[in-house]
Amino acid sequence: MIFIGTDIGGTFTDLFAIELETGRSMTAKVLTDHEDPTQSVSEGIRQMVESGQLKPEAVARVLHGTTLVTNAVIQRRGAKAALLVTEGFRDAIEIGTEHRFDLYDLDIEKPRPVIPRHLRRPVRERILAGGIVELPLDRAQAETEVRALLAEGVQSIAVCLLHAFRNPAHEIELRELIRSLAPGLHVSLSSEVAPEIREYERASTTALNAYVAPVVGPYLRDLGEQLAGRGIRGALLIMQSNGGTAVAETASQFPVRLLESGPAAGAIGAAYIARATDRPKVLFFDMGGTTAKAFIVDDGRPIVARKLEVAQVYRFKHGSGLPVQVPAVDMIEIGAGGGSIAHIDRLGLLKVGPQSAESNPGPACYGLGGKLPTVTDADVVLGYIGTDTFLSGKMRLDGAAARRAIAEHLAQPLGLSIEEAAWGVHQVVNENMAAAARVHLLERGRTPGDYSMVAFGGAGPTHAYGVARALRLRELVVPWQAGVGSAFGMLCAPVAFDMARSHTVAVDQAPWAEIAAMLDAMVRDCRGKVAKAGVPEGEIVATRSADLRFRGQGHEVQVDLEGLQWPDVDAAEVLRRFRAEYERLNAVKGPDAPVEFITWRASARGPVPQLPLRQGSAGAATAPRSTRRVYFRETQGFTDTLVLPAGSLAVGEALAGPALIELGDATITVGPGASAHLREDGLVLITLPS
Amino acid sequence: MAMETKFAPYLLEILWNRLLALAEEQAQVLMRTAFSTIVREAGDLSAAIFDRRGRMVAQARTGTPGHVNTMARGMRFFLEEFPIDTLEPGDVLLSNDPYKLAGQLNDMCLVTPAFWKGRCIGFFASCCHMVDVGGVGLTADAHNVFEEGLQVPFCKFLVRGQENRDVVRFIRVNVRTPNEVIGDLYAQVAAGEVGARRLTQMLEEFDFADIEELADEIVNRSENAVRAAVAAFPEGTFRYACDNDGFEHPLRIEVSITRQGETLVVDFDGTAASVERGINVPLAYTTAYTCYAVKCIVAPDVPNNEGSFLPFIVRAPRGSLLNPVHPAPTAARHIVGHFLPSVVFGALEKALPEKVPADSAAGLWVTQLSGFAGKEQPFAFAFFSCGGMGARREKDGLSVTSFPSGIQNVSTEIIESSSPVVMRQRELRPDSGGAGRYRGGLGQVIRFEVRSHGPCVLSAMYDRVRFAPRGIHGGASGAAGLVLGKDGRELPSKGRITIQSGEQVTLRLPGGGGLGDPCERAREAIEADVREGYLTEAESKRIYG
Repeated sequence: MIFIGTDIGGTFTDLFAIELETGRSMTAKVLTDHEDPTQSVSEGIRQMVESGQLKPEAVARVLHGTTLVTNAVIQRRGAKAALLVTEGFRDAIEIGTEHRFDLYDLDIEKPRPVIPRHLRRPVRERILAGGIVELPLDRAQAETEVRALLAEGVQSIAVCLLHAFRNPAHEIELRELIRSLAPGLHVSLSSEVAPEIREYERASTTALNAYVAPVVGPYLRDLGEQLAGRGIRGALLIMQSNGGTAVAETASQFPVRLLESGPAAGAIGAAYIARATDRPKVLFFDMGGTTAKAFIVDDGRPIVARKLEVAQVYRFKHGSGLPVQVPAVDMIEIGAGGGSIAHIDRLGLLKVGPQSAESNPGPACYGLGGKLPTVTDADVVLGYIGTDTFLSGKMRLDGAAARRAIAEHLAQPLGLSIEEAAWGVHQVVNENMAAAARVHLLERGRTPGDYSMVAFGGAGPTHAYGVARALRLRELVVPWQAGVGSAFGMLCAPVAFDMARSHTVAVDQAPWAEIAAMLDAMVRDCRGKVAKAGVPEGEIVATRSADLRFRGQGHEVQVDLEGLQWPDVDAAEVLRRFRAEYERLNAVKGPDAPVEFITWRASARGPVPQLPLRQGSAGAATAPRSTRRVYFRETQGFTDTLVLPAGSLAVGEALAGPALIELGDATITVGPGASAHLREDGLVLITLPS
Repeated sequence: MAMETKFAPYLLEILWNRLLALAEEQAQVLMRTAFSTIVREAGDLSAAIFDRRGRMVAQARTGTPGHVNTMARGMRFFLEEFPIDTLEPGDVLLSNDPYKLAGQLNDMCLVTPAFWKGRCIGFFASCCHMVDVGGVGLTADAHNVFEEGLQVPFCKFLVRGQENRDVVRFIRVNVRTPNEVIGDLYAQVAAGEVGARRLTQMLEEFDFADIEELADEIVNRSENAVRAAVAAFPEGTFRYACDNDGFEHPLRIEVSITRQGETLVVDFDGTAASVERGINVPLAYTTAYTCYAVKCIVAPDVPNNEGSFLPFIVRAPRGSLLNPVHPAPTAARHIVGHFLPSVVFGALEKALPEKVPADSAAGLWVTQLSGFAGKEQPFAFAFFSCGGMGARREKDGLSVTSFPSGIQNVSTEIIESSSPVVMRQRELRPDSGGAGRYRGGLGQVIRFEVRSHGPCVLSAMYDRVRFAPRGIHGGASGAAGLVLGKDGRELPSKGRITIQSGEQVTLRLPGGGGLGDPCERAREAIEADVREGYLTEAESKRIYG
């Protein structure tokens, strides 16, 4: 039985397959075909089959992650979609929060809504707070508007009415009306896509869902056909932003949930490693060419946030994108990757990123025309990256060009030596990431010192040592699969589905019977979506939780509702859990104030696949160990450092830093004072000096 | 470019970012634990770190220039009252002095001294808008500061970690919503505590005794960068004068901007005298928005701290609208305060015509409501709304965007869930953006009613009803604001108005001014405006032919 993970990225499509009986794994990397990304998957599978490694009939499951939805939103290549709203509120998605995300830059642009104003139409109806119908839906008026939109040729309709999260009756009525007029048209209801309070965020999410739905449906159908064409009859599961997978039908219904599914897959892989190594608290660090990301994995599960932001007009500037209210693996991302460009600002400070040289022209050392110094150039000057062993030697790097770029743009203007300037770049990037990760942890009530780090990505293993040191962590784990982390991570993902519904009630006055019934219905719904992927009923685990807050505050705290006596719930126990979580998050005791429920959540997930991981049979196993000069702060400069090609490290062998382990598509830095050893499952465990 | 310094440039970058992250975390704790919708949803707050000398070294991104810039200049008054060496661990300072701090009694400024190895090494300060401070309630029509509410002099809110009981009791009995107000003050305490704890961790990690040397670097580099930008400013004095709506009658504001070496002097000499209504702007607040406006044009990319203020000198005649004397009322100081960037831009346009945008709607429209939600169930609720921004040099103005303040709106569903307000309309206001090669941003139309028990009081703080945002370089003005009650009768734009339960009130917020000759506007842009309904067909014909 074989599982295949397929991750479509901006440059490459990665495939990672594993045979469950033997643990035998194989990988493929093909250039992404941007016109038809399904072709890249098909091509990767063809390569695996032709090399004789893969028997299509043995494939039981294909996991798929794609940036299709994210790119459709960024590049505005979605469908012609319309939005029906309560009369008088046509512009909620354009007015947004009225906020300027940069106080001093008067030239900012705000994100343009994906549905333009002329396709946003009012319907006469009104539901008040609490769900009371004030004005019934005027069907005749609504029909006129829908007909007008159909005449415009819209391919998809979103519906977002005020307070529909509390009472969806009018939205459901509208869907029936639309179906009667245009049976095949995709309809997205805010009460199903994101039934949470705040009309701007809910409408934005629903509009995005409608915008990408007509693109995603056919794409997933094509993908299914491509796989069938290669003789694969296993289940196709799609990676979602919450770190779970879903069948294509569910994914087509809620395509907005596919946003950021690539990073989520990486986090799921890190969670798998956290469990495999029995590490209850893991900080997952993923650094590629343009960005670095950090995730928190507690008790083997990544933390999931309740919303995310996409298509930022200004990279990494919070508030410059479109808000999406869907459960998403919680991460912090900064513009610090191997390609990030270093420069000196007008205050004379050394800054790195967020501009990136990307892959074209790339860092100066690529010799492809890039002249500006990047993080990769600094790493080459410092010896962390070998000029002959980059990408398993497939690409030779120009060390002199790297030195020139650093000298000219950084060292000379700052009056530093080239090495010191390169060290500055390396250090600033590590510190930036550490600072971002620190804030991410502290804001969620976590203590950095409690965490072990797991690192993925092309640049992740090189910088993980420095980032972990800046955070004063004690341990670092790098998997053999660090270079194809997302494709690997997908294989570890359970089938899962989450739902939320806002319904404000005071804890001491909660109508528990009614709420139990509502949560039961939500759980049934989630279970149904998981069962669709063929997960046996008995293996599905459902959980209930809720967001609570002190009445009058604006920030909710998610509280686990498992282990309670339904429907005779002990409100005091709920309050106890709420106060404990509040204190953990805010580092202060909560006030003496009434507490209320805002949003109710249900989630169902299937079992986590058990992968028989083992050390990959890396091709460079025969290459000899060598020594090169590498710069470390601890040694006050360059020092002779052992360089181990992938595979030359024996299972169980202890290794003292300074050393570098070259995996082919990434290099692990083991600094002075650190020690490393390779486990049987292919994980490199590094103990950091205190 | 190389500078003599104790810190390598990359280390300075790292340390500076650490301080910014600390201020940010302080603000996040505050927003998470605050009670009033204005703080938590609208982000009407500021948070910043100060060194031993009371110099602001880093601020959180969140917040408004009115808060953060007044706090930056106001810290010294705390230190005058409580010299640094008299402070003890656990002390927390408080005041809402409108003349020395944020210009309005509702804005409480709270200061947490941070201690490391038994020595005070700096301060975490925050400023938050309280829901209520007693008096007649937040309104533009009080006649003096005594009517406007409770004045809290520079005092200790906590003494060595213990609540200063008498101060808290004084506050409690003087405000309408004591639980929310005290809750918000404690949110500020929590934020300061978290910040102070993190700062000491940072000092320990880097083995520093304090942040004084780091602060010197930050302040000096910021100051030098701004001075270098100022040096490029043309010689001469640039003047501008215009009228603000005022309360009963229009008020003249005059400004002159002169470069003296590497310093810019902004003088409001000639401006009208202060009035017996709460629209006077204390000098601290005048300075805050003046510095903000100048910095946006001259040095927008330099971080905001003590150093970036030093090259600007702001003057206004004592006793004038922009420098009133106690006990002149100031509760609605933001109306004229937010108008000041328009005045400053008027003068800057003459010096730097390529850099300045057309006028914006400016003044945040504040709707303060109070009455009874049910029998014996009083309520007080406020929401903020924005008009359009002026057209930019190569872009249309932004529609419905907070400028110059930095707040966020509150969603209709939140408003309706937490008050007896029912919204009927919140939409862009077609035809409100001034025509031009680049069009002004659109204002909005807000129609609402209050389902109160009996009549309720609407305290209006609206501006640019008399004087629309001006277009520049041949661009047309944006639409002026308008406030309408039942049957379309016009309501006053400032002061308290009684409205009946269920009576609809309509606010039409101003649009931004246009930039450049409308004849030069691209055909496709005009067609898009008409298609999207930003511009009606009739207006399009009238303006663009």
